[in-house]
Amino acid sequence: MLPASRLCLCLSLLALAAAGGLPCNADDVTSFSNGEVLFALQIKPLLQEKCFACHGGDPKKIEAAFDLTSRDGMLKGGESYGTALVPGKAAESRLYESVTRENEDLQMPPKENDRLTKKQMSAVRDWINAGAPWPKDDRVSLIVKSKASGVTVATSGGLSEDWTNRRYKPEDLWAWQPIRDPKVPSFSAPVGGGALGPGNLIDHFVQRKHQAVGIGLAVAPRSDRRSLIRRATYDLTGLPPTPQEVRAFLEDKSSDRAAFAKVISRLLRSPHYGEQWARHWLDVVRYADSAGFANDFERPNTWRYRDYVVRSFNSDKPYDQFVKEQLAGDEIDPRNPEMLIAVGFLRMGPWEHTSMSVARVTRQQFLDDVTDAVGQVFLSNPLQCCRCHDHKFDPIPTRDYYRIQSCFATTQFADRGAAFLDSENQNGFKSERQRLRERNGRYGNLLNAIAVKTRDAELAWFKERGLPYKSRREAVQKKAPAKDIPPSRLGRSPQDNGLERIGRKYRTRHGWELSRFNPIAFSVFSGKTPRYGSIQSPIAMPKDPMKDGELEKTAILAGGDTFSPTIPVTPGVLSAVADSNDTAEATDWNTVTKQPAGRRTELADWIASKNNPLTVRSIVNRVWQSHFGRGLVATSNNFGATGKKPTHPELLDWLCVRFVEGGWSIKKLHRLIMTTDAYCRASTHPDVKMVRRKDPNLELFAVFRTRRLAAEEIRDAMLAASGELNRDVGGIPIRPDMNLEAALQPRQIMGSYAPSYQPSPLRAERNRRTIYALKLRGQRDPFLETFNQPGPDKSCELRDTSTVTPQVFAMLNSEEIYDRSIAMAKRLLDEEQREGRQIANAFQLCLGRPPTEEETTLCTNHWHEMTERHKTLKFERKNPPKSVTRSAIDELTGERFEFTEKLEVYHSYEADLKPWDVDATTRGLAEVCLVLFNSNEFLTVP
Amino acid sequence: MSSERKLRGMLNSSVISRRESLFGLGASLGSTALSSLLHAEEAVSPTGPLSAKDGHFSDAKAKSVIFLMMEGGPSHLDTFDPKSKLKELHLKRFSRGGKEKSAMESGSRYYVESPFKFRKAGNSGADMAENWGHLAKVADEICFYRGCQGESVNHPTALYHMNTGNRFGGDPALGSWMTYGLGSENQNLPGFIVLPELSYPQGGPSNWSNGFLPAHYQGTALRPTGSAILNLKPPAGITREHQRKNLDLLKQLNERHLEKSQQQDDLAARMASYELAFRMQMQVPGILDVNQESKHTQDAYGLATNPTDTFGRKCLLARRLVERGVRFVQLYAGTWDSHDYISRNHAAQTKAVDQPIGALIADLKERGLLDSTLIVWCGEFGRSPDNGIRGGVAYGRDHNPHGMTVWLAGGGVKAGHTIGATDETGAKAVEVVRPIRDLHVTLLRLLGLDDNKLTYYHAGRFKQLSQFGGKVIDELIA
Repeated sequence: MLPASRLCLCLSLLALAAAGGLPCNADDVTSFSNGEVLFALQIKPLLQEKCFACHGGDPKKIEAAFDLTSRDGMLKGGESYGTALVPGKAAESRLYESVTRENEDLQMPPKENDRLTKKQMSAVRDWINAGAPWPKDDRVSLIVKSKASGVTVATSGGLSEDWTNRRYKPEDLWAWQPIRDPKVPSFSAPVGGGALGPGNLIDHFVQRKHQAVGIGLAVAPRSDRRSLIRRATYDLTGLPPTPQEVRAFLEDKSSDRAAFAKVISRLLRSPHYGEQWARHWLDVVRYADSAGFANDFERPNTWRYRDYVVRSFNSDKPYDQFVKEQLAGDEIDPRNPEMLIAVGFLRMGPWEHTSMSVARVTRQQFLDDVTDAVGQVFLSNPLQCCRCHDHKFDPIPTRDYYRIQSCFATTQFADRGAAFLDSENQNGFKSERQRLRERNGRYGNLLNAIAVKTRDAELAWFKERGLPYKSRREAVQKKAPAKDIPPSRLGRSPQDNGLERIGRKYRTRHGWELSRFNPIAFSVFSGKTPRYGSIQSPIAMPKDPMKDGELEKTAILAGGDTFSPTIPVTPGVLSAVADSNDTAEATDWNTVTKQPAGRRTELADWIASKNNPLTVRSIVNRVWQSHFGRGLVATSNNFGATGKKPTHPELLDWLCVRFVEGGWSIKKLHRLIMTTDAYCRASTHPDVKMVRRKDPNLELFAVFRTRRLAAEEIRDAMLAASGELNRDVGGIPIRPDMNLEAALQPRQIMGSYAPSYQPSPLRAERNRRTIYALKLRGQRDPFLETFNQPGPDKSCELRDTSTVTPQVFAMLNSEEIYDRSIAMAKRLLDEEQREGRQIANAFQLCLGRPPTEEETTLCTNHWHEMTERHKTLKFERKNPPKSVTRSAIDELTGERFEFTEKLEVYHSYEADLKPWDVDATTRGLAEVCLVLFNSNEFLTVP
Repeated sequence: MSSERKLRGMLNSSVISRRESLFGLGASLGSTALSSLLHAEEAVSPTGPLSAKDGHFSDAKAKSVIFLMMEGGPSHLDTFDPKSKLKELHLKRFSRGGKEKSAMESGSRYYVESPFKFRKAGNSGADMAENWGHLAKVADEICFYRGCQGESVNHPTALYHMNTGNRFGGDPALGSWMTYGLGSENQNLPGFIVLPELSYPQGGPSNWSNGFLPAHYQGTALRPTGSAILNLKPPAGITREHQRKNLDLLKQLNERHLEKSQQQDDLAARMASYELAFRMQMQVPGILDVNQESKHTQDAYGLATNPTDTFGRKCLLARRLVERGVRFVQLYAGTWDSHDYISRNHAAQTKAVDQPIGALIADLKERGLLDSTLIVWCGEFGRSPDNGIRGGVAYGRDHNPHGMTVWLAGGGVKAGHTIGATDETGAKAVEVVRPIRDLHVTLLRLLGLDDNKLTYYHAGRFKQLSQFGGKVIDELIA
């Protein structure tokens, strides 16, 4: 741990007020009147925080001509109400009346969120009643120095003295404090069946909290093995356990704990572990395969970053290294492709630059995006608030925001050469490339045909006039007189003009997408900011990063406006973190170079350090959240004053210490957490009413909290049950079947339409895990979206699981669900010919358990009844469309034109098994499968 | 209590049948409310996330919103904000300097007069281009506002800004905030419905996203062709009786599962949603069917006639939805983007929407719904008084966030007035100049909502539509 002398978070509590050199003794207390003390400690800060913005801060913009910055101003009052202050008489003072909010017409501050607390209201009343004294500034600071409570935090400094010296409630600063290794509480064996006695030290901390709230030892018993393996398998791989895996666990003769430990080890070795964990990480970093906004261009190479994340989790890359690679891989080792891929993180936000955009604005957009993202993702502190002002609640001056931003002022986009690694899945390159080339070629031909038309028309035009030119271009080049130059677009119909626009657009798009198969990393470099125009193709890496462009100088921006720089800043870190205030004491760790290169490396070294309590707590909390559905801190992207406080602060720290000791191994952390009694508890409790009473939000782990499967888990679990799941890992994005209407939904891109969504042609390609599905910002898969898959524009700390009715339509009526059900029915009948066994197997596959007798009867009867019904049904074969026609207005001519897009995938499409492919018995059984997919038990992690 | 009884209580109690709730019921039903629901004996009204709630101000007239989004950026100079100065300056060269360099400031530029003739409409003498013949008849119902300013010159960022208050997408849309604040009067339909053009606008569905608000407040896009709601209908061959049998089996399996569970809120909510969905997939198509309206009404909205049919259907459907208690309906028309040939494009766009909008206002008024319905008309920005030479074949205008016309009708607005002004060429607003967030705050206020109280705790912070507070534009309110 850190030597105490180096702590810069000075805990100058009342008792330690010696910081200002003033002894704190009884004389001082008596030398100020109560009114003065109230004013200095409470009223003045209150006025500054809540009132001055409208009533005094800026003399030009005083609301209602009511100035609150002086006693005279208060006495004078505003134009609406006259005097606001009657010294000695709070009851007659408008000021007091307005803050009580009792008069509906006069409520101040206007924002409900700014409402004064009861205590603050009383302070206003008492101050007025004490005669409303208004001591001079130096006297105020004297009082503050001697009497203020709360703690100050030394930082690089706010924009005002008041902010710099302001005080914080110590409990709001918990995350900024160094991590301590707390003493482990003692442990008593829990009452009730199934408990195994002390084992994992986490349980000691959990139990202490139970004792504190009165749950005592009355925790839920250990979960049964079936539920446990289901829980662990979903948590670590996002897939259901296979019936064989369930059986092996049930038959394991070892103790419950030993047998479960084996399961955990097996799951942590599974390649699917990395996929599930990448999904969590990609939610936080906002992964998508397209850029968003006007063009929503695909980002053809981001899939390598996605796979980098999968690989990193699978290899249990130490988290500190993982962080450094994503922030500064290109600086650390530019020859290592993996490092160039890793920094794709920095470009994950939505971003584009078109001919319509202002370069400086889009550049600033990136800088703001990456600054805030680094705060949320690694430090669990959103920094966005500090773009315009010092943080209202947390010790983050706007200066620190721009100091961090300065670390990225030399970060430039480049799509860099990076050889494919052996571990990267290159399957599917050939067929996809061929298809894309065909597409691209088609639009090339279209453009050529139109060019020929124009050429012929121009030739004819010149010939008619007896002119020697062969083309308009030639005539222009040879400076022919205007009358000898034909109009542009000669010989083209509005239809041709429209098609030419589409042709050019698609050539550009698909041409860019063809770089998907090249060894290119979606990456960055450090250097000067190049001058850039509309970006429609891979961004080349300059030979000399320092040759062309501008070496950006960072300054604090007034109002966050890129055109209003104020105070210059140099690269730095969050100065409020313990030991990080370089303005007080610069160390290697807390300073960042001013050189153009190396800034991110040094920032990364500061972030990914055991001395950075934010980083360590952030990841430990995220891992905990993934297992319990809720972090020890519920707001896992925000550890600030307005975030939730940790429910078990000591446990969090204890885990942090173990995590760092364990070499930042996330797998070890999983094992540590999952082998607790807390994790292994049943989701039912003998006295649930008592638990609900003592722990209404179920955040103390007396009983396990169930969760609904995430969108991706639902699709993957259905594919696993139907036997269709292709478990290949990694590779270029695949395109599952999407609701056809949504897939062909026309959507505008700049000056045109986006190409239609076409699924991958082969079943095996489509039926990959959902994490590999192409993720377009402008066209989300409606199935995944309705099951609360977050949009990739904002960092998602925890998924919403609201139940909404469109989920029913998606699960009950969609073609995709019927496809899965029929495939599963077919599988059941293929794998088991013995009459009656299919239902049992269906339960094993979907729910990991045999059906009860009653369930068997219900399902078998249903099967037979539905088979009879299906015998009466005839399904017409439906073929997918081979093309789609859109009509549009050409922007240049204002004329309507039609465009028919060939859907080439459907010319070689291998359809899923459809109702018309199978007999009534299979379709009848498929109805049972459909019901099982819809069942609550299937959709819930027990 | 057996789980069967629990379920009967939940699904068949008079409570639910009295207030069927397709979109309103959800997992965020408080656990108390739900456990009450589970007891058939206790008749407690469900407090689903979409159930109607009171606003913050009791004096508000507007209960619902019809938001006419003229996507692409309609030119204020060629619709409702005439500038005679541009006649003088027509084709005079002009250059725009400044730091915000983009294609729209580059090249040689010239002023462009409006190709449209203007007139004064209604008793209020509102400025309107002559081709707004139908709207002119209801001119006195409208409050024109010329002071609004955006920040972005690009379609998607400007559209996000107008729809969500944030230029970069990902935040909840205005309609989401309003349904979050007020719920919906009809639990069988989504509270926030979007009627997009056949093609989705730039930026896509993020324009009607619920952002960080719970999924109940997401805008549901009713697609103009094919299935209005995706998968609303079961596949061919699957009849109602057939599906009922599946649901019966599902119910039995779920009941057995519920019996073993204690954390039932989500489970029960999901069970209920199946039953309600089953009923609603029959009823919703009827609600959406504008052919149930009289021939007279259909004709008034311009149905079955080109080019008014498309937007006429949307306007008529919007009225039907608002009548049934839907809180917020947003209609898209466009694209108004007219860099060239503004005369042709704006004439066509105007013709497509003029009659439907005129009919909508008149129809709402006739039915006594205009007072309780706030109509908003705007684009993502206005257009510039000048143009670059693009092809040089016909006049058009570029994007302009500094000047635009927004108009409001019904719902307690200052009808028959024109508020604010742009400068002599219409380049930028100069009177009652207010940012988009103030417009948003004003719209909330017209619905009785206080932006400062309408907050949602997310990622450790209370968030609000205006991002960090805004001010009501009092001039727009009657």
